[in-house]
Parts: sequence; C-alpha cells; structure tokens
Amino acid sequence: MTQRKDYQEGRRKFLIGMGTAGLAAMTVPVTASAASGKKQTWDLEHEVVIIGSGFAGLAAAIEAKRKGAKDVVVFEKMPMFGGNSAVNGGLFAAPNTPLQDKEGVKDSPEIMLKDQMKSGRGVADRTLLLHIAKHAGEALQMTLDAGAEYLPYLQQLGGHSVPRTYQTTVACGAGIVQPLIKKCRKLGVSLINRSKFEHLLLDDTGKVIGVTLRQNYYFGYDQPGKLVNVRAKRGVLIATGGFAQNIGLRQAQDPTLTAEVGCTNPKGATGEAMLEMLQKGAVPVHLAYIQSGPWASPDEGGFGYVSNYSIYNFPHSIAVNCRTGQRFMNEIADRKTRADAELACRDDTGKPLPPIMVTSYKHAKKHPNCKKVLRYGVGWKFVSLEAIAKKFNIPLAPLKKQVEQYNGYVRAGKDDQFGKSMKKAKDKYLEAPFTVVRLWPKVHYCQGGVQINTLAEVISSMTWKPIKGLLAAGEVTGGCHGVSRLGSCSIPECMVMGMTAARTIMKG
Amino acid sequence: MKKYARYLLAGLLVVNLAGICLAENTLKQYDNIKGRTYHEDLYVEKQCDACHTSNEPTLFPPDDSCLECHEYEDLVEATAREPDDVWQNPHNNLHYGKDIPCMECHGEHSRREPMCADCHNFSYTKHNN
Repeated sequence: MTQRKDYQEGRRKFLIGMGTAGLAAMTVPVTASAASGKKQTWDLEHEVVIIGSGFAGLAAAIEAKRKGAKDVVVFEKMPMFGGNSAVNGGLFAAPNTPLQDKEGVKDSPEIMLKDQMKSGRGVADRTLLLHIAKHAGEALQMTLDAGAEYLPYLQQLGGHSVPRTYQTTVACGAGIVQPLIKKCRKLGVSLINRSKFEHLLLDDTGKVIGVTLRQNYYFGYDQPGKLVNVRAKRGVLIATGGFAQNIGLRQAQDPTLTAEVGCTNPKGATGEAMLEMLQKGAVPVHLAYIQSGPWASPDEGGFGYVSNYSIYNFPHSIAVNCRTGQRFMNEIADRKTRADAELACRDDTGKPLPPIMVTSYKHAKKHPNCKKVLRYGVGWKFVSLEAIAKKFNIPLAPLKKQVEQYNGYVRAGKDDQFGKSMKKAKDKYLEAPFTVVRLWPKVHYCQGGVQINTLAEVISSMTWKPIKGLLAAGEVTGGCHGVSRLGSCSIPECMVMGMTAARTIMKG
Repeated sequence: MKKYARYLLAGLLVVNLAGICLAENTLKQYDNIKGRTYHEDLYVEKQCDACHTSNEPTLFPPDDSCLECHEYEDLVEATAREPDDVWQNPHNNLHYGKDIPCMECHGEHSRREPMCADCHNFSYTKHNN
C-alpha cells in the first residue's frame, strides 16, 4: 500500500469559512510580481511544468529529463493519464524507417511533406511539417526505447503516396502511452491526475512564470477542487489536445458539428487551455478545420474497434452506398474527401443511410481487431453477396456487378472508377466469405489551435514574437496540417513537437 | 496445471461474488445516504472515515481509499481474461493499465456504468452498477 494522500480534509468548509482572500494569505509569498502589480504568491514550484499527459506531454517530460532537468511535473485534468493519445489508433507515420528499408519503400521527409501539403489543400505549414518529418524517426525511436511494440509490417493510409505507417501491436495509441508513462515514472517525472489547468501567470514583462491549477478536481462531478499557483522555473508547456468534445466551441466553428455527430475523443477534450492561451494573446489558426474520421462506425461509441479495422482494410475493400449498391468514393482518399462522401449517403427522405465496407474475410482477419469486431456485434460475416444485400436492403444486381468490376481493377492494378491506388490491393480479390461494417464519420481531430514556431514557442498576436516561457505542442496547436490532416501524422507531430519543446525549455 | 488451478480458483471466487451481487441490487438506503449492502457495517457504525478523510465528508475520498482493504492484484486476477481478450481486464486494461481510479467504474453511493461502455459493447456481467 502506498501512503494515503490526505489532501481533502475539510477543504470545502475551509474555503467557505475563510474565503479566497484567506486562502491567498495562507500561501507563502515568493519573489516576482504579477502583471497586475500585485505580489505573486506560489503554492508549488517546479522546474518544468507540463499540462496534459498525451503523446506531446509525455515525450516532452522524457526529453526534458534527458536534457538534465531535475524536476519535471505533468498535470492531467482527467482521472486517467493519456487523454486522446490513449484511445486512438496507434498509427505512426515516419519516412526512412527500418521497416521501409525492409519492404524496399523509397521515401523521404520531402515526399511525406508533399503528401501532407496536398491534403492540407494549400494552407498547411510547410516549415512545421518538414521539421516534424525530419525528426519523426527520432521520435519513433523514443517510443521503441520506452518499450513500444509495433506490427511487423507497414500500412499505406489514405492520402499517403507510399506505405510509411507503423501501428502498435495492440492497435492503439495506448501501446505507446503506457510505455512512455512507465518511462516517465522510471525517470522520476511527477505525474499528477485530477489537476485542471486554469490560467497562465505572467510577470510584468509578459513572460509566463507559472500557472494556476485546480487540484483534486473531479471532471464531471460537483467537486471543483482547490486553486493553487504553481511556479515554473524554466517554462510551461501546454499539451492539452483538441476541443472535439466541446460541442459549443466546435459548433461555433462548424455549425454542422452538432451534438448529434459522434466523436472519437474522450470527454476531456474540451480545449479550455487553448482558450486561455488565446486570451493571453496567442494567435488562433484554422479553428474551423475540424476533421471527422471516415472509418468510424455508428454501431459503437468513440473510436471503438471498427475505426482501426477499417483503416487497415480500406485499401483492399470497397465502400458501398446501400441505396445504389455501388461504390461512391476512393476508399483511401484523404479523410475529408471520404467523410464528405459518406455524409452524402442518404435515404429518399434525406436521413443518414450509413454506407457499408465489404472486405474478403481472409484479408480482414489479418488485422487483430477483426475478431473483436465480429464478437462484439459491430461487424458481420456473410457467406455471399446475396446475404449482404438482404441484410442491408441493397439492390443485389448492381452490387454483384460492382464487385465484379472492382475485381477487374484489382487484376489491372488500376481503379477506373475513383482512381484509388491499387498497390496495397494487389492480388486481393473480393471473394466470399465477406465481412461487413457500417461507416459514419465521427469528429476526430482539430487541425486548428494556437500558432507556434519550429521551437514550439507560442507566438503572440500583439508582438508577433514568441511569448516568453510559454510553449505548446500537439493538437492544441494549429496550422501545421491545414484543412485536413493525413492519418498517422498526429503521433509524430505530438512526439516531435513535445521533444522540441523540451529542448527549447532546457536551452533556456 | 498450477496456472489453471489458479484461474479456476479465481473463477470460483468471482462466480461466487457475482452470485451474491447479481441476486439483488446491492445499493440500499441507509439513514441519510445510499450505500452498498456489502459495506453495511460501515453505515451501521457510521464510519464514513473508513473511506473519506473526515467522518463528516463533503468531498470524494482519495483515489486509493478502496485499496486500504482491497488488494489490487487480487482484483486483477479475479477479472483476468482469456489470452485473446487479455487486455479487456478492467483492472489491467489496454488503455490505462492499472491506473484507473476505482470510482470511475464503481459507485459506492450511486449507480455507475463501467467506463469501457463509453466506446465498447462489452458486457461485464459481474459488474453490479
């Protein structure tokens, strides 16, 4: 048994009795004055303060330790560590990797950049993307050193011109987060949950010198926690992820993303830390570019099992509109192209009619999620196209014709219908028995956020220079991916920019 | 063989516990608060501070309170899964390992769904809400 924390004794009564002034008087005044001119008081002090415990925060913590930091703390709002990084697909794109060597794939940071710029539709940040692509291999190595395990083959995700994507053996980002957490603990990083970031604390010169937190904060319950001021001796890194679960904020950017639209993120992805940075002068970039995942299923919550199953199977599967019995998109186009195409699948009254993905069982079963998809009733196995047509009320003749036609494309290595790259579909004909899942997009990723430079410094809209002492990394930052992020490009971004932030902080 | 015997033992224990739990709703109204019947002694003797840091609690107890009495590794073993589903053990799972605070899935004074249900269609029949 660990020593019991005794931090809650009579706290609420204490607050009511003394008021916040009393609370402030209890704290010990230490140096520096706040922007308001008042003497700044501190309850805690750390060398490096990291807000958020996903890929970016954890990579930063490890890198800060490597660079000699003695005292690194990671504060997490939620009861569990990892945020959205613990529940995504665990897909990691990097150029010039050992697996690419093994599979004879020719790639480079510049080729990866080109793919991303295309999906970014002209407004992605070339400098940031190239910085990330050049350091992605290094970040991948950090995960391997920590004990992350990957499948022994590469995948070619939608919008990528070559196979360059690793995936954890557990088909989840947790396959990286869990080893990183263990590594952090081994290195002596403090990981503290139920601690909600509230405010940045600035000195008279506008430099960020600390943060205000709510300790002992219970997300979703009526226990707001206790406010404390934490001094950050070297710097503050905000790595709090996106705001896909903040319905009001996402709908303000994109009115189509109503509460009825599903979301793959955990409930904590609400974006308050981004809003606080904006209030302190950070530059907002691309907030309206919010991506929906075209591989999600309406038959389960969140990211679930189907997302990864579809990502793996799209290259050798067809997506079929149940109304027509025909394909309606390039199954490995970029995410926005596919999500838009799926949302257009409607019945005669305009109601959503989720399309289906049809895969040969012998190919589908190669992914570890296939078993789970079938077992938990979010996907189904069929002996024939007739059975599929019957179950989903699809016109049989066009469906049969479509499959025959598609198999012709597999043979020819060329998709005349939608121009899909057939490289990964080579010799993979659609044949019974089949597996089928239903598809409907879910809000997945916020391309927008605060502007940073390649040192992970947050830029001020008032001076157009970095805000001293303030860094940001990962989904909370914006602009890097432009209109639509390519799959498997977020993990390298988070890891690289987290590491970059730590290097900037430690250089001082 | 020894390994299987251990599974069997753990399994029997779980079936036994599940039997008790599923037989009735374990949430009962005591004087001024609902509580679990298997913790009845604490309500009869008004020992709020068995879990909370005060006997007149206004706040949630610390995350590790339950572990004052319950041995975590025993729970891990009691909910162990077949090799195929090894990571669906709620007490040692794929996403969070052994790091989920108990109250995220178990409510002492109110019903609570297992948090896996946010994204997955698992049926945890032994969980008594």
